Amino acid sequence: MNVEGWNKVLWERQPFPDNYIHPHSFLSSLRRNPNFKPYTYWPLVLLCCAITQHLATIFTFLAVFVRLKERWLDARVLLWVSIVSFFGGYALYEILSCSNPVRGAFTRSNTIKSSLLVFLALMGLSPVLRTLTAATSSDSIWALSACLFLLNALLADYSSMKPVPQERLTSVLSMNAAISSSVVLASRLPDDLAVFALVLFAVQLFALFPILRHRLQVTPQVAQILFTLILCVLSFALTVPLSVSVAYIYASISITVTFVAPGVLVWAQKYKNEIRGPWDVAVPRLN
Amino acid sequence: MKHEPLAIAMISDFFHPNVGGVENHIFMLSANLIRRGHKVIVITHSHPPDRVGVRWLLPGLKVYYIPFPTIASSATLPNYFTFLPYFRVIIAREHIHLIHAHASLSSLGQEAILHAPHLGVRTVFTDHSLFGFEDAASILTNKLLAAALKNVDAVICVSHTGRENTVLRGQLFEKSEDSSVLVVRPNVYVIPNALVAEQFTPATEPVSSETSRYFHVVVKGTTNFSSVYIVVLSRLAYRKGIDLLVATAPRICSAFPNVNFIVGGDGPKLNDLLQVRERHLLQDRIELLGPVRHRDVRDVLVRGSIFLNTSLTESFGIAILEAACAGLYVVSTRVGGVPEILPHDLISFAKPEEDDLIRALSEAVAIVSNGQHDPMEAHQRVKNFYNWGEVAERTEIVYDAVVKSEQKDLWTRMQRTMELGPFAGPIYTIILVVDCLFFLFLEWLMPRHDLDFVQMHWEHDNFRQVQ
Repeated sequence: MNVEGWNKVLWERQPFPDNYIHPHSFLSSLRRNPNFKPYTYWPLVLLCCAITQHLATIFTFLAVFVRLKERWLDARVLLWVSIVSFFGGYALYEILSCSNPVRGAFTRSNTIKSSLLVFLALMGLSPVLRTLTAATSSDSIWALSACLFLLNALLADYSSMKPVPQERLTSVLSMNAAISSSVVLASRLPDDLAVFALVLFAVQLFALFPILRHRLQVTPQVAQILFTLILCVLSFALTVPLSVSVAYIYASISITVTFVAPGVLVWAQKYKNEIRGPWDVAVPRLN
Repeated sequence: MKHEPLAIAMISDFFHPNVGGVENHIFMLSANLIRRGHKVIVITHSHPPDRVGVRWLLPGLKVYYIPFPTIASSATLPNYFTFLPYFRVIIAREHIHLIHAHASLSSLGQEAILHAPHLGVRTVFTDHSLFGFEDAASILTNKLLAAALKNVDAVICVSHTGRENTVLRGQLFEKSEDSSVLVVRPNVYVIPNALVAEQFTPATEPVSSETSRYFHVVVKGTTNFSSVYIVVLSRLAYRKGIDLLVATAPRICSAFPNVNFIVGGDGPKLNDLLQVRERHLLQDRIELLGPVRHRDVRDVLVRGSIFLNTSLTESFGIAILEAACAGLYVVSTRVGGVPEILPHDLISFAKPEEDDLIRALSEAVAIVSNGQHDPMEAHQRVKNFYNWGEVAERTEIVYDAVVKSEQKDLWTRMQRTMELGPFAGPIYTIILVVDCLFFLFLEWLMPRHDLDFVQMHWEHDNFRQVQ
């Protein structure tokens, strides 16, 4: 039977049986991994810095909370740290915005107005927050806040800055989880000022810092690495005096996320097998 | 050559009273197999309140409606075992030799392929659609399909592209003798759909263009200015590429003052079409017909001279064939199995892009306006390309090969099922073994000699005499 006479058509009866498979034409339009761009190790490590930074903020927050609860840290100090870091972070944000002009809907006066509003609202609400979960046992609170922080870390938006900044549902959920967690933790604190300081600190870390982090991801690599390193060392230093074993766990998680996980992803790429062909639903291109 | 008459059971979730490509295919294939002397029954799920029990359809096609509830899109829930009691009784009663399951999303069909070997019945499967490999739904249904097709005796696909797709989805390849390379199983066939050409005859006088020519004579005072109607008949959904139609229709209308659109069909994208028509003030140029019944399709088609298909995926494209048969020149996106179904002088292709579609449509308008496309000649040619008698004949060859092939015993089937993979393999093997035990239990509970066997079959000759 000659191979030449066969055409890939249905409208004419060909002198071949119906189960004939043409050796050259069969699956000739199959394409494997057409849009495959292999990842390399170090750029992935750099991208993982965002996750490491987020973990560092969570552990910093927890360390601060324990100190407040045990009255090792004066709430006024934390309040001043929050205020200073707010202005410092805002200045940094403005500087980065100047070099990368992506103008959002917020102007400066708007920013100051809403931050004042949050400040005053938190101040007014802190007595309520302090007694919010008085009837709940502390064990439930620890478990709840652990779950919420886990949710926060899983859903946070670690992507680098997109051309059009838009909020995704998961990042909003993530922020809400973290704020809820800090609110329930704050209700274990002894006085109103401590509650106020802790919730304000939480807003800084979990609502404002991710916005700054987005901006930081377009800065030079050295700055990113340095910033990540500072955050990690700070959170580690804050954790060690409280519990050495927790500090070890934290360190191993950080190292795994930053250095081991990218390696695993690079290794797993050899199993990638994406099949494309004429049967795929075409994507219409409109002007 | 003459084949032994067989008793065949077509099994699918998709059958009359639903309408669609698969439903029509099963009916036409059954009717033509009956005409060739075989006995055919259909097993499908019931459509309460009135389509229940056993019904007869002309010409002598017996339909069993199994009382199963449907979950979505007229498909039943895959439950693997509950179908077996019905299946066993029907197959035994009707003395069925071979079952033919249709459509990969029909769980009745997949379950029948699992049950049939217990009764010594052979299995054939026809796949009608294309699926990707990316989304979660495809991954899941492809795994189900691979499991069902592991022990099937033959697979039929409706186009060459469809076969490539089914071979990959159903993992229909095996190690060759020297176990160095993978080769496709020899029992995978391509048999296209067909159409009843007599139902799609071109209009002898193109009515609409006559009247509009008169109209334009009055308005413009020219004689060589005739309207061209572009017909679109499709479900108005994303997969049918209605976004492309919405983008191109106003541009075509402004580029060609003599080109009008007739759009038939209903669906979620109807609003987009209504909006674009309103925005560009094209109410008199784009006619929206709403849903069109299948028996009215021909009358809509012959009003136009160009048929436009903008589908983003299509395994065979029977609508294109119907239009070509009715004498229309076809413009289609180059997707799926569409490039295989017509010779290149009856159809022009475009990439699924707005600009390329405009290019192809402009060329088609030029071809039709210059009278380079003769509807009667196109009809005669398409009539010779496809007919159901030939499809039945080719399917008969598949049945013959299946009946002559050696049957796989239970141990072989279990071994083959285990090849599915480290997780799916044991799961499906357990299903297979439990199914066997359930079958043995049913044999004990309802012994075969207690069944009411069907004694009298439909006698077509007697029927003809009565007529």
